[in-house]
Amino acid sequence: MAMYVLYESSSGYGLFEVHGLDEIGQNTEAVRTSVSDLSRFGRVVQLTAFHPFESALDALNQVNAVSEGVMTDELRSFLELNLPKVKEGKKPKFSLGLAEPKLGSHIFEATKIPCQSNEFVLELLRGVRQHFDRFIKDLKPGDLEKSQLGLAHSYSRAKVKFNVNRVDNMVIQAIFLLDTLDKDINSFAMRVREWYSWHFPELVKIVNDNYLYARVSKMIDDKSKLTEDHIPMLTEVLGDEDKAKEVIEAGKASMGQDLSPLDLINVQTFAQRVMDLADYRKKLYDYLVTKMSDIAPNLAALIGEMVGARLISHAGSLTNLAKCPSSTLQILGAEKALFRALKTRGNTPKYGLIFHSSFIGRASAKNKGRIARYLANKCSIASRIDCFADGATTAFGEKLREQVEERLEFYDKGVAPRKNVDVMKEVIENLQKQDEEGKEPVDASVKKSKKKKAKGEEEEEEVVAMEEDKSEKKKKKEKRKMETAEENEKSEKKKTKKSKAGGEEETDDGHSTKKKKKKSKSSE
Amino acid sequence: MRPPKTGRGGGGSGGGRGLARGGVVSSTRGRESGRGRGPGRVKGRESEPGSGIKGGSKVLVTPHRHAGVFVAKSKADALVTKNLVPGEIIYNEKRIFVQNEDRSTVEYRVWNPHRSKLADAITTGVDNIWIKPGVKVLYLGASSGYTVSHISDIVGPEGCVYAVEHSHICGKVLMNMAEKRTNVIPIIEDARDPAKYRMLVGMVDVIFSDVAQPDQAKILSLNASYFLKSGGHFMISIKANSIDSTIAAETVYQMEVEKLQMEELRPTEILHLDSCEEKHACVFGGYRLPRKQKADSAV
Repeated sequence: MAMYVLYESSSGYGLFEVHGLDEIGQNTEAVRTSVSDLSRFGRVVQLTAFHPFESALDALNQVNAVSEGVMTDELRSFLELNLPKVKEGKKPKFSLGLAEPKLGSHIFEATKIPCQSNEFVLELLRGVRQHFDRFIKDLKPGDLEKSQLGLAHSYSRAKVKFNVNRVDNMVIQAIFLLDTLDKDINSFAMRVREWYSWHFPELVKIVNDNYLYARVSKMIDDKSKLTEDHIPMLTEVLGDEDKAKEVIEAGKASMGQDLSPLDLINVQTFAQRVMDLADYRKKLYDYLVTKMSDIAPNLAALIGEMVGARLISHAGSLTNLAKCPSSTLQILGAEKALFRALKTRGNTPKYGLIFHSSFIGRASAKNKGRIARYLANKCSIASRIDCFADGATTAFGEKLREQVEERLEFYDKGVAPRKNVDVMKEVIENLQKQDEEGKEPVDASVKKSKKKKAKGEEEEEEVVAMEEDKSEKKKKKEKRKMETAEENEKSEKKKTKKSKAGGEEETDDGHSTKKKKKKSKSSE
Repeated sequence: MRPPKTGRGGGGSGGGRGLARGGVVSSTRGRESGRGRGPGRVKGRESEPGSGIKGGSKVLVTPHRHAGVFVAKSKADALVTKNLVPGEIIYNEKRIFVQNEDRSTVEYRVWNPHRSKLADAITTGVDNIWIKPGVKVLYLGASSGYTVSHISDIVGPEGCVYAVEHSHICGKVLMNMAEKRTNVIPIIEDARDPAKYRMLVGMVDVIFSDVAQPDQAKILSLNASYFLKSGGHFMISIKANSIDSTIAAETVYQMEVEKLQMEELRPTEILHLDSCEEKHACVFGGYRLPRKQKADSAV
């Protein structure tokens, strides 16, 4: 009775025929000895057919099916094509050896090919696995590893639900590019000014803005051709009729030299380049804003996209930013001052990159440090939510921002701010309600979303407070709690997660009782 | 927070860039890469607790008895491996730079025995770790990939490490690490079920198991039956409390060893890791080793 063996590899399916069955019998010990030696093994087992996967996507489908123990159409057609036909009513004269009995039963149901997966088969498969690259002539050494690597990466990514849109690398690259662009545009603009000033020196003093200068110089071209007719055009560019008149007059009395048409063309091309770069910078900024709202919406809502992006790029990644304590976040960017102060036992800096958010500027000199610390704490919370929570909502970020505003007011006027616990509670409640009731009309949803933000924040604060009490790893626990918080919010969509959330809550007694209390409060 | 590699010049109370009181920072500490401009910038911490080597001090790097591993000697000795991806660090470990005769620098990463059981075993003095350049390793329980990265350094570009980790959180970190190192193959799957990832793994020379599960002997033997070549070797780290916390540690180790022996995993060394952890042991051994002086199955 003929015996075949199916071997699934990352580059394709292989079907092997086992000869000399009677010789070996079903004795595993003997099989083992033959397995180790390729020449002996090659006599026992021979390659019947090999079906390479068509594309990476196809391979991913196959590996998912194989891990579930399910037969795909490709596998089915491969088997039916290469194994002898199973005749109706007659007992088939061969059998197929497999690694997994579950797959075997599947195959048998569909195609009536008898399958077996005993120890003998496993030994044979070990041999095939060991010598596989020698069997398949087309595979160069190292090819198999590469296909394994690629397939494993795509399989693992699918498992952890790797979301391409939420890659923070884009933001880091974009912010670097933005800075480089700024520097370059500035240098080029200076160059345009110098160059054109050979021809028209007075223009430099009249038009101060770089971008406008480039536009104007491009428009004026040769100053001798400048007449009163150009006033409307210049006004349009400069936005001020007086300035336009000034330009015209200066042009008439200019002491600059004339440029040949060729030179003028060159200056113009360069000016055009500068304008294009400036336009690109604007587009890049918009891109950065969209990306920030994708990957870190709460951070962006709290301190703005630019500062948020700078913080992320300085920390190295969003995860790094989330991992560092809020005291680090407060002085990210002022390391030189910090270590100098630590070494000389002076005063450490109060703020780093955070300084550029609007809040610090609005605080009085005495309170700058306090606001910086408070803001850094809130930023830490926001970045942790962004990093570890599943949804992309700005609910928390906006509420956190409100809290900072309230704190500023408190320093100004003495108006007591809301308790954090209450604010977070509101946000979570609102987010829950939002999910339960589905889509709402605009007004109601606005109100509700505000409430929800408050609730969410509140729970965050409470979670944070609780974690500070306990000595477990802050990061992992918060993550878990974010997950449970978010999972509570998405009650309808992810029912399986809800049971997990329930389980997780029970593992943590102190927190669970509080949560249950809050839940009962909210339901009332 | 220790001085990181990038120095954005912020003034004392005036935070922020561009406020250059006292001059612009043009720090030329050797490892700066352009004040933080450009990708690939590394945020490294200078000192790890317990290694005692300051960056920049004179260190002598010599090869260890085990191939692929090195020892850095200065005030305190440290175990290091040669960095497969120069410039990248995984877990804020320290790096040591050594200048060659031809002025090129070789980068070594410090291997912390408190974090990695394999490093602990090496410093305790194991005979043979079986992991050397060019070897294929299956690592069960890869976690965030700290030990995996060092193993990947040792086996080099010819070898490869199949890293199996079940948890998604650690899996993400592992995958990020694997993106930089092409000889690490990340598999986010339960190690109890090698059939599920049989398509992704070839035959390996060594299995390294650090799963801390009560049925870890069974996990190891199942994976070995699928993927470990005959005459291959294994290392399993046994945490006595995760097998059975009520009985004595020695008894637990004996039990595990017996379980392994029943599955043709013959232990050759048992090491008690007492320097860095409590109630931990490491068992090294071979799989389907040829038996001496046996008539029928001599290979």
